[in-house]
Amino acid sequence: MSIRAHFDDELSFLNTELIKMGALCERAVSVALDVFFTHNRELAKAAQRLEKEIDAKERDIEDLCMKLILRQQPVAGDLRLISSAIKMISDMERIGDQAQDIADIAVNINDTELENRIHIKAMSETALKMVTKSVDSFVQKDMSLAESVIAMDDEVDSGFDKIKNELIAAIDSNGLKSEEYIDILMIAKYIERIGDHAVNIAEWVEYSLTGEHRKEDI
Amino acid sequence: MKSRIFKATVSVAIFMVISCIAVIMGVLYAYFDKEYTNELSQEAVYIARGIERNGMSYFDGFDNKQNRITWVAPDGSVLYDNIADKSHMENHADRIEIKEAMESSVGKSVRYSNTLSEKTIYYAVRLTDGSVLRVSATKYSVWVLLLGMVRPILVVVFAAFIISAALTYQVSKRIVKPLNEIDLEHPENAVSYDEITPLLKRIAHQNRQIAKNMEELKRQREAFSTITENMSEGFLVVDNLAKILSHNQSALRLLGIKNNVENRNVLELNRSESFCRAIDLALGGKHNEQILRLEGKTYNLLANPVYQEEKVVGAVVIILDMSEKEQREAFRREFTANVSHELKTPLTTISGTAEIMKNGLIKPADIPHFAENIYNEAQRLITLVGDILRLSKMDENSFSGERSEVDLQPVVAHAVQAVRQAASERNISVNVSSVSCVIMGIPSILEEIAFNLCDNAVKYNIEGGTVDVTLSEKGGSAVLTVSDTGMGIPEDEQDRVFERFYRVDKSHSKEIGGTGLGLSIVKHGAAIHNAKITMESVPEKGTTISVEFGLTSEKSVL
Repeated sequence: MSIRAHFDDELSFLNTELIKMGALCERAVSVALDVFFTHNRELAKAAQRLEKEIDAKERDIEDLCMKLILRQQPVAGDLRLISSAIKMISDMERIGDQAQDIADIAVNINDTELENRIHIKAMSETALKMVTKSVDSFVQKDMSLAESVIAMDDEVDSGFDKIKNELIAAIDSNGLKSEEYIDILMIAKYIERIGDHAVNIAEWVEYSLTGEHRKEDI
Repeated sequence: MKSRIFKATVSVAIFMVISCIAVIMGVLYAYFDKEYTNELSQEAVYIARGIERNGMSYFDGFDNKQNRITWVAPDGSVLYDNIADKSHMENHADRIEIKEAMESSVGKSVRYSNTLSEKTIYYAVRLTDGSVLRVSATKYSVWVLLLGMVRPILVVVFAAFIISAALTYQVSKRIVKPLNEIDLEHPENAVSYDEITPLLKRIAHQNRQIAKNMEELKRQREAFSTITENMSEGFLVVDNLAKILSHNQSALRLLGIKNNVENRNVLELNRSESFCRAIDLALGGKHNEQILRLEGKTYNLLANPVYQEEKVVGAVVIILDMSEKEQREAFRREFTANVSHELKTPLTTISGTAEIMKNGLIKPADIPHFAENIYNEAQRLITLVGDILRLSKMDENSFSGERSEVDLQPVVAHAVQAVRQAASERNISVNVSSVSCVIMGIPSILEEIAFNLCDNAVKYNIEGGTVDVTLSEKGGSAVLTVSDTGMGIPEDEQDRVFERFYRVDKSHSKEIGGTGLGLSIVKHGAAIHNAKITMESVPEKGTTISVEFGLTSEKSVL
């Protein structure tokens, strides 16, 4: 087998691993949100397990990228793919952490009527969609998907502001359950952060496709 | 090949030019060398004669400075030299040419200078008195001559190079041309060199072989793709890096993929947990089955490793749509649960009432009232069981009666008659307008349809409402329409009312009666007759249900 063919095989293996890691992140976020919205305690364990899996995957992919850079000394598009992979996996790993944090906090919240007062569901669904789409944009090498992820972030940000105001109003009117409200604020913040990480992933996808990064001068 | 010929020919030409120059130079130099020596020897002989005749006086007025002339006495001392001063010259007896001349009257030798750039030719003659006369001349050696000729030689070589290059270019082109003109598709027709004819024959043979193999492969692939494309199951073949090698349209359809996926990673199609696991396990050499849920559908994934020389080289994944089966199973479970529930409710009432009566807790005067209760519930049970039986008969497609020509008019009239009693109890007026319509059908089922429609129209009507039953002929079909002014059905539930045991208003179901199976029977019966059901309903205003049957005349034409 020629060196290039071998390298191509390794790149395609990297691609597979990234897709798997992205799928794990999607699953972790959706499990965490399920813990929060359906109060299913069993799922909290699944979120922890997923977080560990994501961490292991990050290390594996990191190793693989380093090996590729050292042994093959890639250039141009290949180098971009590998370097953006290294950046993407750290964002994915953060998403996994935040999903686990959400699940951990959500276990303590028992308020089934919450949905009627705090409108967090739409925002969390958008964030989940952003994670899915950012992984999709990488999988399908689709610029327009990456752009739509970046556009969706404003929705999540404004959602977070709205929830913050709702929580302030709720604490003002009902000081007894403030602890729960703080927890919810944390969850909302984590969700907002997940959206930011999805944006980062989408930006790295753009970079790997075009060689230009929105925020950084590379 | 052209450049090979070109290089070879040009280098041969250059080599020829250089070797020609070398040979010519060698021959010419040798010739001139000989001439020169002859000249020297003649001069030596000539001067020797002069000396023999005139002695030393011969040198008086001798101003030949071209050649060096030395006269050596028999003992080796120099008697005369026309260039050097004889008093500073050493004894010459040991010089080769002089020694030779002393011994055999003539001596000759050639000596090179230290730098090899000059050579001196000596020629010595022995005079009669034993003394020796030596004439010597110095001239440039062949190397110096060559050095002097470097420029003209280079010019010649360069010119030869240019000319030979130009000619060779043309020649090589002409040699290669017939080779380039060979049509590799039909090499046997080519006119070319005899030397490559066997090669061409071989190529022609191989061409035929390849064409045959291609044909065979194409046929096999077509057969394979015909099989896979007509499968309703999805079919994917991936290599050991999870890249898609082959797929059928069903696989894309089931997974909801629209773009081309050849050579892409299989996880790009779907990256759900079960799909990843199916691929991972199969590539790890394990046969496995997974359940994949996707947009409300359930698929069964069958993943198998592909072995080649005991190594996993890929995997085959088959995707089966289980949604229908799963739905049917869910439906059956629900049906069983509903039936048990519906059967249990009247039975509980019957059992409870009977128990109270058995324990003698009821005054004899009240017994008829309780007995009526038991009777009513038992009637309800009978209707329910009857409905269930009818439905399950329809399910099994075992109809009590063959198809025959049926006039719908009396069927409708009969059904209306059956509900008139109940209608008049609640002041509901039933209007019928019908024409004679003959269709092919099963009378008992048609009666069920008409009855259930009318029964529902009365049951779910308001006090003092109206029911319009119309049977008309429209565009080659018989249309039975039943409208009421009842409670109506909300839009989002209109699909569900045909489900078994489904009821719009769950709380009132008991007092209205009914089993929740009426419209199911209508739907089933209509399906058996290939009839079309349409429903329009506005909540609180009323419901209109039409059933459209194909007419006999139309059927007989078909």
